[in-house]
Amino acid sequence: MGDGTGAPSFEELALPLLAALYNYALWLTKNQAESEDLVQETYVKGMRGFGSFAEGTNFRAWMYRILRNTFLTSRSGLRAAPHLSIEDDRELVEELSGDSAPDRSIIARVDASALRRVIDDLPLPFREVLLLSDVEEMSYREIAEALSIPVGTVTSRLMRARRKVREAVQR
Amino acid sequence: MNGHFDEEMMGRVADGEEPDNAHVRECARCANGVVEALRLKRAVRDAVPRVEVPESLRRRVTRSPQRNATPWWLAAAAMLVIAVTIGANGVAMRRDATRELVDLHSTIVGSANPIDVLSTDRHTVKPWFEGRVPFAVDVPDLNGTPFRLTGGRVVFWRGQPGAYLLLTKGAHRVSLFIFRDEVAPRVGTFDSMRVVSWRANGLAYVAVGDLPREELESLRSAFAPR
Repeated sequence: MGDGTGAPSFEELALPLLAALYNYALWLTKNQAESEDLVQETYVKGMRGFGSFAEGTNFRAWMYRILRNTFLTSRSGLRAAPHLSIEDDRELVEELSGDSAPDRSIIARVDASALRRVIDDLPLPFREVLLLSDVEEMSYREIAEALSIPVGTVTSRLMRARRKVREAVQR
Repeated sequence: MNGHFDEEMMGRVADGEEPDNAHVRECARCANGVVEALRLKRAVRDAVPRVEVPESLRRRVTRSPQRNATPWWLAAAAMLVIAVTIGANGVAMRRDATRELVDLHSTIVGSANPIDVLSTDRHTVKPWFEGRVPFAVDVPDLNGTPFRLTGGRVVFWRGQPGAYLLLTKGAHRVSLFIFRDEVAPRVGTFDSMRVVSWRANGLAYVAVGDLPREELESLRSAFAPR
């Protein structure tokens, strides 16, 4: 229920996001138990910080950002953190950028499990923008807010992620 | 637009990030590129199945999201605030419920037709409620008590149906409200009107009248479970 002022409560806004946040946590951690803890901690933090949440801003992106920041300070998140500043990793950027022009139509012929493995193998910064865009159908701006990165970075990461996917499935 | 879309632009169009995409209607090459980008988007979505939220997590989040990782002092402070709030709200809610039921009592007894089934016979009044309220109304034999049955009707309190019995004791009229236990009001006292409540057999009884509390309390034994 709301607080009587017409403004939705934290529960009203946050509970519909439970499945999406849990799936996002699974993408990040690849571990069910860790994902459950991560989501619960996200809700705890969200509830505590809800007073400071500015009405009119994007609540979904705010919750994703809490979850992601919580993950980054967790044990497995700290292990993944060195790979998150991928823009500075020239070698990896070149590897992901490639000059080859893959046969795009192959996407129509690749089976889902093979594609799933390719996505799983993507470095986290690319995997998460790809999934937030294609599965969660977030806008670039929303992804930028959720990940605390510029919109331009979202665009370039998406392009590289998709290129990597195309290249991997045609091998 | 001169020239063709680059790879990034095809992705932006496929993602709905480019409101001005008229070029794809004129250029087969770029249209094919956008179609391929859309095909990839769909393939990614289809390749990543949504995982159901485990019931254990749903319970953890919906029941006690504040329990985990909360310092004990913060939890204790929160509990204190919650207890005080609930206490204050509880008192306010009880006061509201009492006022509402006293008002209902006054409305009914002040009405020209206060009851729908007019009978002093409990064997007439009891079956009258069948199908009208979602529980069985047990109207006891009031012989041996100072109260007399006058009749009954159905009342609604906060959207829930309840049984209403109008009782008399001399010139005094007493309302007895009967609700299902789970929707029953927690009542208190209200100014000049006495309000007494008790629970029995999964039902809640609320007696309202201008009689001394002890006399209203005597109804409890008459309507006690047997």
